[in-house]
Amino acid sequence: MSTAEQEALIIRRRSSWWQLLLRDRFALVAALWLICLFACFLFGPELFGKAATTLNLRARNMPPGSTEQGWLMILGGDALGRSILARLIVAARNTLAIALSAVFLAMIAGAVLGMIAGYFGRGIGHVIMRFADILQSFPSLLLAVVVLYVLEPSVPNLIIVLAITRLPVYLRVTRAEVLEIRERVFVDAARALGSSRYHILRRHITPVIAPTLLTILTVDFSIVMLAESGLSFLGIGIQPPEITWGLMVAQGRNYLSQAWWLAFFPGLAIMLATLSGNILSNWLRIVSDPEQRWRLEAPGKNDA
Amino acid sequence: MAHFLGRRALHSGIALIGLILAVFFLVRLTGDPTALYLPIDASLQTRIEFAKKHGFDRPATEQFLVFLKDVSEGDLGYSLRKQRPAMELVLEAYPTTLALAGVAMTLSIVLAVIVGALAAYRPGGVFDRVGSMASLAGASAPDFWVAITGILVFAVTLRWLPTSGTGDLPYWILPIVVLMLRPFGLMVQVVRASMLGALSSAYVKTARAKGVGETAVIFVHALRNASLSVVTVAGDLTVGLINGAVIVETVFGWPGVGKLMIDSVIQRDFPTVQAAVMVTATAIFLLNILIDLLYVALDPRIRHQ
Amino acid sequence: MKQKTIAFELRSSRLLVGAAALAAVFGVTAGVQSAQAQKTVTVVLSEEPEGLDGCNSNRSTVGRVAKQNIVETLTEIDPKDGSITPRLATSWSKINDTTWRFELRKGVKFHDGASLNAETASKAIARTMDSKLDCETRTKSFGDLKLSTKAVGSHTLEISANKPVPILPTRMGVVSLSSPNTSMDKLVLNPIGTGPYVFDKWTPGQEIVLKRFDGYWGKKPVVEGARYIWRSESTVRAAMVKVGEADIAPNIAVQDATDPSMDFSYPNSETTRLRIDVTRPPLNDKRVRLALEYAFDRDALRGSILSKDIEHATQIVVPSINGHNPAIKVRKYDPAEAQKLIAEAKAAGVPVDTEIEIIGRTNIYPNGTEAMEAMMAMFQAAGLKMKLRMMEVGSWLKYLSKPYDENRAPILLQAQHDNNNGDAVFSIFNKYACGGLQSSICDKNLDAMVAKAGTLSGDERRKTWQEVNRVINEDLVADVWMYHMVGYSRVGNRINFTPSISTNSELHLEDMTFK
Repeated sequence: MSTAEQEALIIRRRSSWWQLLLRDRFALVAALWLICLFACFLFGPELFGKAATTLNLRARNMPPGSTEQGWLMILGGDALGRSILARLIVAARNTLAIALSAVFLAMIAGAVLGMIAGYFGRGIGHVIMRFADILQSFPSLLLAVVVLYVLEPSVPNLIIVLAITRLPVYLRVTRAEVLEIRERVFVDAARALGSSRYHILRRHITPVIAPTLLTILTVDFSIVMLAESGLSFLGIGIQPPEITWGLMVAQGRNYLSQAWWLAFFPGLAIMLATLSGNILSNWLRIVSDPEQRWRLEAPGKNDA
Repeated sequence: MAHFLGRRALHSGIALIGLILAVFFLVRLTGDPTALYLPIDASLQTRIEFAKKHGFDRPATEQFLVFLKDVSEGDLGYSLRKQRPAMELVLEAYPTTLALAGVAMTLSIVLAVIVGALAAYRPGGVFDRVGSMASLAGASAPDFWVAITGILVFAVTLRWLPTSGTGDLPYWILPIVVLMLRPFGLMVQVVRASMLGALSSAYVKTARAKGVGETAVIFVHALRNASLSVVTVAGDLTVGLINGAVIVETVFGWPGVGKLMIDSVIQRDFPTVQAAVMVTATAIFLLNILIDLLYVALDPRIRHQ
Repeated sequence: MKQKTIAFELRSSRLLVGAAALAAVFGVTAGVQSAQAQKTVTVVLSEEPEGLDGCNSNRSTVGRVAKQNIVETLTEIDPKDGSITPRLATSWSKINDTTWRFELRKGVKFHDGASLNAETASKAIARTMDSKLDCETRTKSFGDLKLSTKAVGSHTLEISANKPVPILPTRMGVVSLSSPNTSMDKLVLNPIGTGPYVFDKWTPGQEIVLKRFDGYWGKKPVVEGARYIWRSESTVRAAMVKVGEADIAPNIAVQDATDPSMDFSYPNSETTRLRIDVTRPPLNDKRVRLALEYAFDRDALRGSILSKDIEHATQIVVPSINGHNPAIKVRKYDPAEAQKLIAEAKAAGVPVDTEIEIIGRTNIYPNGTEAMEAMMAMFQAAGLKMKLRMMEVGSWLKYLSKPYDENRAPILLQAQHDNNNGDAVFSIFNKYACGGLQSSICDKNLDAMVAKAGTLSGDERRKTWQEVNRVINEDLVADVWMYHMVGYSRVGNRINFTPSISTNSELHLEDMTFK
């Protein structure tokens, strides 16, 4: 195959990814939604910062669906009459920064430790696993209080706390899969051919465990956001005047019976972000898996 | 096997001691409890006397020696907040936590395996879309939101269920449903993901070629191959529940260990925090040993290291 | 391999059967337990009491269950005007500055059969005052004041203090008397008193049950018994009364009080304020402090995020307390005046651009966080640089009491104070005297007045406290005054009960009747 032909193939494949995305309506909507969130992440606070913090007690707990007080009030007003929509947009930056950092940190640290524990075995593996037991048994709230009481209750500290509490699940899943995969024929073969441990872990083992980790990761986004909400409610996590979706949920909690929209919309934002991430990662997984790709390529098959 | 268990118990014991040490000293970093135990208006004199009497004025290392001495005499600490022995409080709360965790996890695992496996059978199909989206939506919904809305709808408006409290069957329904949302949702995703891999594996193809029925292919061959990560994630979720189901305990008034732990941390009730960690950690360590045994049962190629 | 597969199949089929059984069980819905037909009431509290010892009964969580129900006091403070009425004592007189004589009610029995007399009462008071026990009555209301007792007749008791106590009868309103057979070494979970109700049982985490006491000295109450349960969510408590699972929820949040036929507001004797740290610039300048007062739109929070029934506060004690000064005027919201004062201060070289911190406590009162957010915005509108920091109780306490951090920023501290003990003495010293643990001011003149007021009685005492309150508000401007708060109770349709200012700390079962 000449270089030109290879390039042509790559171009064709790229364009077909794009076509595949256009054809799968769910994945397309999810992708668009995530792009929209990313825009909020980049520009939200600058564009809507003022609208999100201006009090208007006349629009206090204003129900959603009316634009009498301006289109920003379409999702209603919160307990101080601030636009819920504007607050959601502004909060996207903190929320996504915290959730993404915490979850990726947990996944990367967990996966690395899990691979070491699963592949290198014996001594170091035992140490790591008992360390994971300790992490899992250590009350996460206590960890939060210790870190945020002794240090400052800042965003980076909060990310560290949340990452530590989510780390064990990635560690265990990685280790469990590595234990199984390293006994498979292809790994044996690679080993017999003299591949280095690092090479085997990277080339042969990582691709197999990645899908499971990514699946957990997408659900973990919501878990982390809600955990952060719980900490805010107890007075340990993010506090006003900072905003996150989790904090909005926590503040809306007291109004559930009177003004459901205060907690509902931020809750919905968390759910939609999680769902979109999940749909898109599932889609990516199928697209990148030669065994599964036909499902998307076969016309009409995916419209169900 | 006995060798494995013995060594594992030893390692776990060491880790448990490490954990308790860590908790003992870290919890004391969260401030002197005197101000929280005494009324806001207590005089300085009263505060000094109180701190002295209960040893809060001593360095943590000294407090630890006292703690060791007490433990050697079988005294695991006294909760000043509740005016009762700390371990008694924890052991009283723990059955509730175990009951909630047991029922919720059993139901979640069973349902998630069914839904997840069927979803993976035709990825992108109607069942997959609806099943996995609904379960995921449930998993990412704020749980207290679901809990309180559930009470307002089913107990106040429809009057089908009691609002809260413990008792016979109707009292269990809302708490269990709320508690299941997250484990069920996450497990459906994991079962589905693992099954997708397993269904396209050579192993399953061989089974199909041999003429094994589809139900058996899904629920026996593929599921078994996928079971490692399912067991691991189920284990992690169970750990979350036996640490206490804070929201359910708080909203529905179920006196479990989760609420006890939160209150004790916020109120700086150190002995109760320590006792609670001892109990929950022991349960978690045991569970993790069990999971490692399960790995071997599920896949004999994994030897005890 | 084959065998393994079968074993697994068996295992999974067993799981499925189990699931089906559980699903069948959970598919059943049963009727909901409704309110009891008997003449007992169910009270749903916001938290489980930490204990029930009589000597802790001035802690509200304990008092709501035990005070005047299980254990009683010598005197009782009338919540409406702070006056003193007899309870276990029938009369009292002053012997000298430090000693009072109380005549005890005759024919009063404790629940365990012991009689109330000078000796048993004396033992109960000694127990409360014993520093071996951490009795909240002592640590909260007596401080460094020590009491000793002497029986001078079978039912005549003399109580002396280590310093002059002009209002000892008021102070005795917080001392509950427990049976002489109560442990003297530790706090108990099963209080034995003289009250109209007997402690029956406590299922930890679940409920406390009281039964009517047949040997009660007073009028036989209508309610035969009470069951106390607890739910921390206000919405759930309100729902329980609504559907009849409980009869009274003494404390629900304002946003849950939506049913006028069931929900009653009552002044709960709490006063809210922002304590101004007068030592730190720019807050050490009176103009800046006054500017804060003028910049706060008090009416904006009333009836919106806080109840419409709250009253504007001008001082630390509520109107029913001896020493409240009705002449102090509420400062009108005047943003122009606030800006003018700040400009003046700035011209005089006061660093008004320094960032001022509002230190708040989460869950201090319903919607407390929203109130702080709103006030921050108001102060910012006046041109001050503000920063809001909400924290959990343990961290907040570091800022509340001395010793204060030397390197602190200028602070406005969100605080709430509760005084339903009849006299301003329980509030002022700690909050405003130089030696007060939570005082942010130190003024020699004020200290002298406070010391003097403590030794006076009657009209003179009231007038002196009133002057103290005026000085704090008008001369020193030590606080941004917020409100005298209200609480909400939801009372079910089955019973008659009107909450009052004391409902926050006591809930008298004897006052309840059935419809």
